[in-house]
Amino acid sequence: MNRSQLRRLKREVGPLENELIDAYAAGGVSRRNFLVRGSVLGLSVATMGSLISACGGDDDTASPDGTSAPDATSAPDATSAPDATDAPAPPAGEIQQGGTLRIASQRPGSPLDPVAMDNIGSYTPVVQSFEYLCGKGEGAALAPMLAESWSPNDDGSVWTFKLRAGVKWHKGGDFTSADVVAALGRLAGANLSASITPDSVKAIDDLTVEVNLINADGQFPYLVSPYNPQASMTPADYELGTLFDQRPDGTGAFILDTYDIATGATYKPNKDWWGGVPYLDGLEILFSDDNATQINGLLGDQADAVIQFAVSDADALFNNDQVTVESIRGAGHRQIWFNVREGTFSGENGAKIREAVALGIDRQALIDQVLQGRGDIGNDHPIAPVYEFWDSSQPQIERDVERAKALLDEAGVPGLAITMHAPDLQEIPLLAEFVQSQLKDIGMDITLNVESTATFYDRWCKVYDSTTPPAGCDGGEEFGIVDYGNRGTPDRYLVAAYATGEWNSAHYLSEEFNAAVKAYQATVDLPSRKEAIKPVQQIAHDDRPYVIPYFYNTLTAYKKNVQGIISTGLGHYYCGKAGFTA
Amino acid sequence: MRRFILKRLGAIVINLWLLATIVFVVVNVLGGDIGRKVLGPTAKAEDVAAYNALIGTDKPMIQQYFTSIKNIFTLNFGNSYQSQSPVIDLVLPALGRSAKLAILAFIITIPISIAAGIFAARRQDKLADRVVVNVGLGSSSIPEFVTAAVLLALFAVHFKVGKVYANPPAGTSIFGQLEYLLLPAMAMVISYFGYIARMTRAGVITALHADYTRTATMKGLPPGQVMRKHILRNALAPTITVISVQIGYLFGGIVGVEKVFNYAGLGTTMLNAVGKQDIPVLQASVLIVGIIYMASTLLADLLIAYLNPRVRLDAGS
Repeated sequence: MNRSQLRRLKREVGPLENELIDAYAAGGVSRRNFLVRGSVLGLSVATMGSLISACGGDDDTASPDGTSAPDATSAPDATSAPDATDAPAPPAGEIQQGGTLRIASQRPGSPLDPVAMDNIGSYTPVVQSFEYLCGKGEGAALAPMLAESWSPNDDGSVWTFKLRAGVKWHKGGDFTSADVVAALGRLAGANLSASITPDSVKAIDDLTVEVNLINADGQFPYLVSPYNPQASMTPADYELGTLFDQRPDGTGAFILDTYDIATGATYKPNKDWWGGVPYLDGLEILFSDDNATQINGLLGDQADAVIQFAVSDADALFNNDQVTVESIRGAGHRQIWFNVREGTFSGENGAKIREAVALGIDRQALIDQVLQGRGDIGNDHPIAPVYEFWDSSQPQIERDVERAKALLDEAGVPGLAITMHAPDLQEIPLLAEFVQSQLKDIGMDITLNVESTATFYDRWCKVYDSTTPPAGCDGGEEFGIVDYGNRGTPDRYLVAAYATGEWNSAHYLSEEFNAAVKAYQATVDLPSRKEAIKPVQQIAHDDRPYVIPYFYNTLTAYKKNVQGIISTGLGHYYCGKAGFTA
Repeated sequence: MRRFILKRLGAIVINLWLLATIVFVVVNVLGGDIGRKVLGPTAKAEDVAAYNALIGTDKPMIQQYFTSIKNIFTLNFGNSYQSQSPVIDLVLPALGRSAKLAILAFIITIPISIAAGIFAARRQDKLADRVVVNVGLGSSSIPEFVTAAVLLALFAVHFKVGKVYANPPAGTSIFGQLEYLLLPAMAMVISYFGYIARMTRAGVITALHADYTRTATMKGLPPGQVMRKHILRNALAPTITVISVQIGYLFGGIVGVEKVFNYAGLGTTMLNAVGKQDIPVLQASVLIVGIIYMASTLLADLLIAYLNPRVRLDAGS
């Protein structure tokens, strides 16, 4: 360890960064997690490299966090610094200039409002043009995007973003702090209302913005990154409700040329892009409503890439030597909800039934059969193993059919017959069938009601207006499965599905849990976050408003001659550095 | 004739009103919160309420109904609930695309099936006749969407002939567009071939055995002239009726084919509108299909009267 170099480097950064460096130097944080956490705190790649060197390196295989899956690391990823000057360029001579990349994508499910959009079909066309302050780095790390660097104050309650100079809007004019202040101001009344107020953001100069948070948050940069898709940077005069297709603009690598919700979108390359001139001559997004069409498009040579699909739809892709399938580990999961407020699953007996369900399912079998092995086992809380602060010491629940049967007997409902509701989305119908079959072993008689996503979500969200707290989406049903996409941090799951009740299908209310979540959110350094997450995991696991059988890998596929695509696992596909090999 | 046409046009207006009413009732019976559907599951309740107020779906049902009927008769279909674009801007291009596909399917179907019907009729009860009849029966028994799925998997995916996404990019030449449209058109050709061929066959067989044909032949008219002037003119009347009615069915059957080939025609537009309860778009699409269906049957009646002077449309009126 080069102590003098380490001391010098530590002097250049703040206390939060120093805590991280100390933890890394002491061996408490793996190199991968150091890179992820350092990127969130705004440490540059060069600084982190120097620190790793000063500490004498680290063997990442000792990582306790389970992030060493080959799927996660094999992804071609040009994001560690998406800058023309220091981006890890593809091997010289491999990507050719020219060509139009055709992406098969889900049709937008809502208008292309950058602030209100809520589905991957809408994210994909918008994010080709509108970018975020922070971008996606390797794995779960962040990387500079419109902000060249960022740093927190001592307690993580104030974040300062240094903007990239020379960034131009497609329609003309420079991207400046005025745009950021206006865009974050709009988000303060929407997606970021829990973090900032319209007065929280101020421009220090043309290229510096200071954000004062309502509560300290050591992970705030994630909220202005693709992991919070609604937080893209739009021009200062871009009013709330403005639709991207009606007023195209942006700073990104591609300029919207045509848009037709019936067919797709086409883009021209932005030759003034801050990341350099894209390799591609054009980008085309083909809309369709189902994975099968997208996969057939790829196999039929009409598309070069498919953004996201279910394992169950993709046998033909896994066995195709012309296609690269990327399996991105993440925190996306399925929640089997129980209404714990009233009905079958409430009260003391309800708790026993919930535990019986948890013990009755064979999680590893679900991963093997439903996901074909592409996922991490769940333990009935939404903290995925990919999170750097995941508490791996918590015992994993195992299948125990006899104990589950006994619990049903104790609850007075042997042979419980009940209907499980689920959307017809990706692998969920298959999951529902396997759960139905597995729970038959403990004597439960489950009737499945799998609905189209359109009718399911319409019903699911009906109880928003419930006056009995906690409200939450459940479609008036007490038992079902609902989906949650990948997030860079679990805060959205914890707050919306468990704490505030916005998506709280279980109508779960626990002051103890809410306090644990608040304590977790107030942490700004990794060691304290690791400690704070333990009670969150344990309470969710013990109270069990949801059974979470697994965290699925996001699957994306492209032709072998395509390189440089960056996928977030949340529907974003960045193509600024993408192109075709010879 | 004029009286007949006016009466039929009047009936069309009444039918369209009924159609619009049925669509409105059915869509609203399905229930659901339009604002929630459009804004998605994560939107806030107040945003959903504001959206419903904006598009008028917070108004009493009867008020929504009268507004919707008034809009139809003033040809103001309003804006799509989903995209907020004018309905007419969504529906007309979709209609154009469906018409393109339907016309291609008809251009292929009609000559092939009429020729096959005549061919079979002239070889009645022989092997060729049995082949045409049975192939026709078989092909028309398979739903269009099944044929479409088989064609897609076999040709577009396996042999890479034809396209999975049937929407030709803007600026594609007419011949270039054929490559995109051929497979979905063939799915419809296969389904409609049998019906039209068998109707033609039956008509031609009847005409072949008719007195006027025997008389024309015995008068010494050349066989070609007998076929053109006596047999086909009489035999094709029911075929033309079938073809005209098929136009209406075609725009219904096209829904499945468009879905399989992800073709952005009127069928797909209708299907998406149903899923999203986009009433203005659904109403406009259904009305257009209704108008096409009614217009095609009216056209069939007029054509039959033209081809067969014995038919008097005003008779008995």
